[in-house]
Amino acid sequence: MARYIIGRVLGMIPILMIISILSFLFVHLTPGDPIRIMYGAEMDMATYEKVKESLGFHDPLYVQYGRYLQQILTGDFGVSYKSKTNVSDEIGKRFLYTLGLTFAAMFWALIIGLVVGIYSAAKRKSIWDRLGIISTTTIISIPEFWFGLILMQIFAVQLGWFPTSGSGTFVHLLLPSITLGFGVSAIIARFTRSSVLEVLQEDFVRTAKAKGQRESVIIWTHVLRNALIAVITMTGLQFGFLLGGAVVVEQVFAWPGLGSYLIDSVLARDYPAMQALILLFSVQFLIVNLLVDISYSLVNPQIRYE
Amino acid sequence: MQMRKRVRLLTVSFLVATAMLAGCTSNSGQTPPTNGPAPEHAEQQEVPVKAELNAELTVALEAEATSLDPWNSTDSNTLHILSTMFEGLLTRNENGEVVPVLATDYQLNADATTLTFHLRKGILFHDGTVFDANVVKKNLDYVRNKENGMARASFFGFIKEVTVVDPYTITVTANVPNSAMVAYMAHPSASFKSQKELQKKIDDPKYNMDRNPVGTGPYQFHEWKNGQFVKVAAFDDYWDKEKPAKLAAILFKPVMEASTRVNMLKAGEVDIVTSLPTLDARMIGEDANLDVYSGPSLNMIYVGMNTKLDKYKDKRVRQAMNYAINKEQLISQVADGYGTAADSPLSPLVKGYAKQQSYLYNADKAKQLLTEAGYPDGFAATLWTRNSTEFVAIAENIKMQLQAVGIKVEVQAYESGTLFEMLDAGEGTDLYIGRWGAGTAEADWGMRPNFASDRIPPNYNNSGFYQNQQVDQLLNEALKATDNSMAQQKYAEAQKVIMDEAPWIFLYVPDVVIAKRKNVVDVGVTLDTVRLHAAYKQ
Repeated sequence: MARYIIGRVLGMIPILMIISILSFLFVHLTPGDPIRIMYGAEMDMATYEKVKESLGFHDPLYVQYGRYLQQILTGDFGVSYKSKTNVSDEIGKRFLYTLGLTFAAMFWALIIGLVVGIYSAAKRKSIWDRLGIISTTTIISIPEFWFGLILMQIFAVQLGWFPTSGSGTFVHLLLPSITLGFGVSAIIARFTRSSVLEVLQEDFVRTAKAKGQRESVIIWTHVLRNALIAVITMTGLQFGFLLGGAVVVEQVFAWPGLGSYLIDSVLARDYPAMQALILLFSVQFLIVNLLVDISYSLVNPQIRYE
Repeated sequence: MQMRKRVRLLTVSFLVATAMLAGCTSNSGQTPPTNGPAPEHAEQQEVPVKAELNAELTVALEAEATSLDPWNSTDSNTLHILSTMFEGLLTRNENGEVVPVLATDYQLNADATTLTFHLRKGILFHDGTVFDANVVKKNLDYVRNKENGMARASFFGFIKEVTVVDPYTITVTANVPNSAMVAYMAHPSASFKSQKELQKKIDDPKYNMDRNPVGTGPYQFHEWKNGQFVKVAAFDDYWDKEKPAKLAAILFKPVMEASTRVNMLKAGEVDIVTSLPTLDARMIGEDANLDVYSGPSLNMIYVGMNTKLDKYKDKRVRQAMNYAINKEQLISQVADGYGTAADSPLSPLVKGYAKQQSYLYNADKAKQLLTEAGYPDGFAATLWTRNSTEFVAIAENIKMQLQAVGIKVEVQAYESGTLFEMLDAGEGTDLYIGRWGAGTAEADWGMRPNFASDRIPPNYNNSGFYQNQQVDQLLNEALKATDNSMAQQKYAEAQKVIMDEAPWIFLYVPDVVIAKRKNVVDVGVTLDTVRLHAAYKQ
């Protein structure tokens, strides 16, 4: 197992190299000039050239990449053009917000998703199952943007139970995490349902039924464990996406996470921040995928990694 | 068993995450304001009895501040914050007149080459250092030196020399006669920061002045949490004892989503909201607890055209397009009526603005002019716009209106940074929607970047390649005019020529729309900036 993990981690290095090149090119070749965007017409050509030189834009791209690579290998992600602060400090602060939002959203998503999914599958073709299918389809189709504003309108503006937006206390987390978790819960519910249904047709389930086992026991002990593999994969994937910052939800609720940082950086063409974020999101995905693979063997000991 | 363990694990990790979250945010909610105005201050000042002491004010802005260095930020959004902390020698009052602040008086010499200020005594910076003529010289010498790469360096390019006459008298000498000097020195970027702070930057070029604002204003910098807020707190040693800060602190929160800003205001979480969507403005104005302020801004919204293209070479075509647009209809449809049809290339707030004969909507005349110019059936055109909702709405409206006179327009929307680069490159430009904010509020900055021959791409912002020697000459003469009325006359003439030549389709001046809670009083709006110096809560 340890060898497997080490192998996987070493395998990430070439992937990250390629990503660093791609993200560098992507960022530098996107039209839009960071200095022009930041200062507009207020800056004359002489000062403009001065700033351009100080940012190293006069060098050819491969020289700039070399410098960038050297920098990140020493753990330095550069200084943001926009805020003139260290990108890694800023990401560090915002990462905690994104992590909090992600965990909270996954909390709602898993509770609702698993309950609805398992129940729908167990009571297949009942009215509850149909209702579940209709509502999850609806929820998946609802734009987060709209749903967030509706929640805000009802619970913050009309009822005054929660703050509309911002961060600072635990209650600030509720509306954005519900908004975010709701969509994911529908995906998980549908996945759980189909996966449980598949397992329900297996021979060992029939055997369990034949020996007179109670249905709830069959579902909870026999079916779920086997159905979970697919659900875990799906959940891991969603988790990876959410860790990349919930751009829309963060924008609506003024949540200071990585998503709003990404938007800000892209709009300002803040190259160091954009590059660091792309790299971070890639690393997160690789790690989440690794964790997902490892968890298979925990759920089903028959799966072993040598 | 395993399942249960998993659930427990999940719950634990959830708790850990939220605890981490709480850990990293708890200090934001609890930081006490360090410098509340001392109660005796308030009594001396005879603040109306209803004033709420030690109140905090919260303002929702449309975006995060770019920099808290007045020399390094050029957006009007940041100015709302800066104006509480920084002051200049001069400023403009609500009527747009220049009035002294850190100076007691000023004098422009007869040939408009030197400007002499007598400075106010007893002014302290937030770090306790003293304001005097040496500080002024050091500030101006730093910002105008292009080696230092300050965004506003060119703004101070008119200065040849700054001379300290005595500790409280200073003379600014211009390179060439420049009647706009007084206006320049009244601009918010001509603000002064502590010499101690500036020295840190000179000693260490990496020192971050964008994050360490130290000025002389009634409020001093307290904290900036990225993406969350900038907080300023009352400064006890503010020089003007008649106008001390009346609030303990002001919080500026960036909230990019306009609907969220509106909801925050309705829920009572913020006291003031800038850039209120016009769609919500009427409804909010009817709320008994809220006030809406609206008035013309310094901005001008226009459609630029590439005057190098054959189809736009004929003045009659350009005029026809101006006649083809019903500006009132445009304003009511895209801005809910919050705007004024353009009757000059300049906003009426700009010093030197002179009302011109505007192009009143007349489709028949437009068709007639097009026919005379040899385009009886119109032509095809591409209209570039930013991809924001507001701009796309304008573009679609223009498209429909031009279609009515036979000009077939294709709208192409681009992200703003991309669009700027396309315009700067100057290739393939046809029609484009622009918005120009004359930040200095004087005519030179309103016209030169847009219409002067040397501002065509790759320079900024004459993206339509409009070149007219008469306009160049008028602008230069106006700048050199020593007599103010002469300068105004030249500017008026330049506006007349530009209006007649029609290198743009002149659309409208959008309103500044700001909402506040009724219990917040003495909030001013000067040249697009919310002034909170005198504000307090009841």
